[in-house]
Amino acid sequence: MRGEELKGHLDALLLAALEDGPRHGYAVIEALRETTGGRLDLPTGTIYPALRRLEVAGLITGSWSVVGGRRRREYQLTSAGSRSLSGKRAGWQDFAAMISGALEGRPCPRPA
Amino acid sequence: MSQASLIADYLTVLSAQLPAPLVEELADGLDETHQHYLTQGLTPGAAACAAVAEFGEPQVIVAAFTRLSPARHAARRLLAAGPVVGGCWAAALITGRAWTWPVPATVRLLFGAGLITVIGLLAAAAFGRRYLSARRAGAVACAGITVLDGVMLIAVVLAIPVLIWPVILAAAASAARLTFTAQALRAVLTG
Repeated sequence: MRGEELKGHLDALLLAALEDGPRHGYAVIEALRETTGGRLDLPTGTIYPALRRLEVAGLITGSWSVVGGRRRREYQLTSAGSRSLSGKRAGWQDFAAMISGALEGRPCPRPA
Repeated sequence: MSQASLIADYLTVLSAQLPAPLVEELADGLDETHQHYLTQGLTPGAAACAAVAEFGEPQVIVAAFTRLSPARHAARRLLAAGPVVGGCWAAALITGRAWTWPVPATVRLLFGAGLITVIGLLAAAAFGRRYLSARRAGAVACAGITVLDGVMLIAVVLAIPVLIWPVILAAAASAARLTFTAQALRAVLTG
């Protein structure tokens, strides 16, 4: 899946990758690779500005640590980020159910 | 080209256009990517090529960070607030008959030149495509706004015998902008 198809979903993917605990940029990329079965075709370098954008928005927070003598920036979800992820997840599930229903010719279950 | 020089060249391109902490984080990620390919059995040279290719075009990364730059955001807000504060001062100066104030022509000219320079710097920071240039322009513009607002506030205290409401409103607008500018300047310098 290419970057253009991910527009609008990248934030949710990044937030989900941080749901299990703090991760640095490359670990976020690895988590995305793992959860998408390696089908995510996104220039790795573009993940870092996206993480920065989420940090500016207050959805994640970053902190520096030293690993092997090298400084590394780790990110973790804020409470606002957790709420945002829940909202995005629910929105996606509704959207996916609607599109699946339309494509398969069956009625879409109404959201509760 | 050796793998070390390939990665070093890539980071040099980024270093010339982004602040050190951002480059440091990208360097860590690039090194991790390189290590990932080495563990997959690629030669060091091939792993470096693959890592650089996976990271993507440096200009795309720089452009993405520039769009998020604190200088750009601060400059756009200050440009948006400029007509409001300027309008308040225009009303205050007309109401207070500013042309009768004992302000030397040289000072008036210097103030006008300073104002035009600050607007130009804000535009450069708000719409520039280079992170570091936008940061420099934004920082100087913030400092310039501080000086200009400070001069206006001092002029009000020294030159106007009786405070009238348009002047009070304009002074309050300048004081609010000074507060915002101080916070923005800190973000611009650290961002």
